[in-house]
Amino acid sequence: MIKGDIFFNLSVRSVRLNFLRSMLAAIGIVIGVVAISSMGMLGTNMQLEVKEQLSATANTIIISSDTVRMGPPGFTPSSSSSSGVTKTELTKITSAVGSNGTVIPIYSTNGEFTINSVAGRGLIYGIDPADIGKFLTLNQTYGNGTTEIGTGEVLVGSELAQEFNLKVGTRIRIGLFSSSSRPELRIAGVLNARGTVADGVSTDNAIVVNSNWYTDQYGGKNEWTQVNVIVKDVDSISDIESAIDDKVNTNAKTPSVRITDASSQLATETSTLSTVTTFIMAIGGISLLVAAVSIFNVMMMSVSERVQEIGILLSIGTEKGEVRRMFMYEAFILGLLGAGIGGASSLIIGYSVVDAMIGSTAYFFQPASILYVPAAMLIGVVVCVISGVYPAWRASNMDPIDALRSE
Amino acid sequence: MTDTPVIQLVDVTKTYHLEGGDFTALDHVSLEIRENDFVAIMGPSGSGKSTMMNQLGILDVPTSGKLHISGRDVAEMSNLERTHMRRDTIGYIFQKFYLIPLLSAYENVEYPLILKYKKRDTTGKAHTLLEQVGIDRDMSAHRPTQLSGGQQQRVAIARALVNEPKIILCDEPTGNLDSRTGYQIMDILCGLHRDGKTVILVTHDPKIAEYAHRTIRLVDGRVAEL
Repeated sequence: MIKGDIFFNLSVRSVRLNFLRSMLAAIGIVIGVVAISSMGMLGTNMQLEVKEQLSATANTIIISSDTVRMGPPGFTPSSSSSSGVTKTELTKITSAVGSNGTVIPIYSTNGEFTINSVAGRGLIYGIDPADIGKFLTLNQTYGNGTTEIGTGEVLVGSELAQEFNLKVGTRIRIGLFSSSSRPELRIAGVLNARGTVADGVSTDNAIVVNSNWYTDQYGGKNEWTQVNVIVKDVDSISDIESAIDDKVNTNAKTPSVRITDASSQLATETSTLSTVTTFIMAIGGISLLVAAVSIFNVMMMSVSERVQEIGILLSIGTEKGEVRRMFMYEAFILGLLGAGIGGASSLIIGYSVVDAMIGSTAYFFQPASILYVPAAMLIGVVVCVISGVYPAWRASNMDPIDALRSE
Repeated sequence: MTDTPVIQLVDVTKTYHLEGGDFTALDHVSLEIRENDFVAIMGPSGSGKSTMMNQLGILDVPTSGKLHISGRDVAEMSNLERTHMRRDTIGYIFQKFYLIPLLSAYENVEYPLILKYKKRDTTGKAHTLLEQVGIDRDMSAHRPTQLSGGQQQRVAIARALVNEPKIILCDEPTGNLDSRTGYQIMDILCGLHRDGKTVILVTHDPKIAEYAHRTIRLVDGRVAEL
């Protein structure tokens, strides 16, 4: 048993004897463990947050014009070409979906607006008022609003409302700043925050207008930017996508629409976040490398200071392996100290970082997040033990006569 | 004393390769030490006494010649076998005591037992030996730095004896002690000889050498007088 092992006891006493030096070396491990686990937990919490938000719109299929395949560079589409989903395509989509879901055609563009003489720019969505309530909800704290907007009314996103201090009834002018005619519309409601969504309708910093007003203002009638299909049963999403594909993309070589859903966006987002997390953790790992050098240095000092003691041990019959074990224990104890303090600090620092960066700690204690603490602790201990290998080897291979002579 | 040679040196030479040229510390030395012998090795500084002790303690091997300890040729033993022989067959008592500073007096004595049996001493042997050399239980809990020179040497003797070695090697065991304490230590060594141990003692002091039954004088690495 390690506790009853005389060599472990010798190592513990050596660490105690040089406690300050040992703790200073262990601080490197503490920093490394905190860096790796905090960054890992931050990345995982971000992923889980995004996953949760995207899952809210997981039942939505997004159909957009396959503009990538419209032609080679310099190709000018013919008059019959469309930059959006056409009415014929919409009819086919509606037919393919049938009673399995709700089809919502959406216009969108980047536009300019003025609120209280302050100019702004953001996404402007044109949606049929009858469809708005099917997937967008109102925040009534800004005043009693309605999604049944007329041509002179708009809905604004939550962040826009907060930034410009808007409420129901406030006026907003939409159109080019240079344009002489910038129609004034009344805010009929403020939308609830949606966060990161997978249905392509990010309304938090956007304006939603009546689809008729949109086409009057920007043109492109019956050429929708995207068509969203909210399916009734999320398990049937691939069947519906196949049905739409079969009906609309009749020419397999040049499909006219692109069909996506939350799963592909989720995969992209989590993959990106995962890459960023790994990169940040690798930066945290550099501090562990620095710590490894520090531990190596302390272990070499320990060996140098105990040369005569090593000579005594070897001369009275201690095996080389036992001397090695004694110094490996010392490195292990330093690692355990650093990793223990680092692990405890990670919980506090990681929690604070996640709370500050994401604004929510809902996923902090989930296994995928909290497991970074023991993982980083294990890495810290392993780094320490590896740092102790050479000093331990050197100690065990000393000549006992030379070692005894040293003062 | 029996006729069985417990230590046998046959034409042993030890040469050190130094920057300024080779230095022969032991020059064709041949001698036998029998079981329960009490031998003093004397000689001036640089005569090869320490080199001889390192050879007898198997801390080093001869450059040429044969060294047999307990009937085994040291040169043919592996490193691990030599380590085990140092642990089990030889008890080493040093001039500077060389106790392990991180361990208490008791733990220093218990240490060779742990090396041999791979477990803590439950037989009370370490305590018994400490009491035999005049270290009581209270004192045995002290670290070496908290003990006097005489007390440290008593602990070192107990440590050397704990694995019941055949051979006790003493390198100037009284060199760091006052004369009264030195004689007390010599009385203990004489007792060990009476109990059947083979005692080999390196000393400068002719009075200490008188305790031995035989004196070997070394001059320039050669045996001048047996």
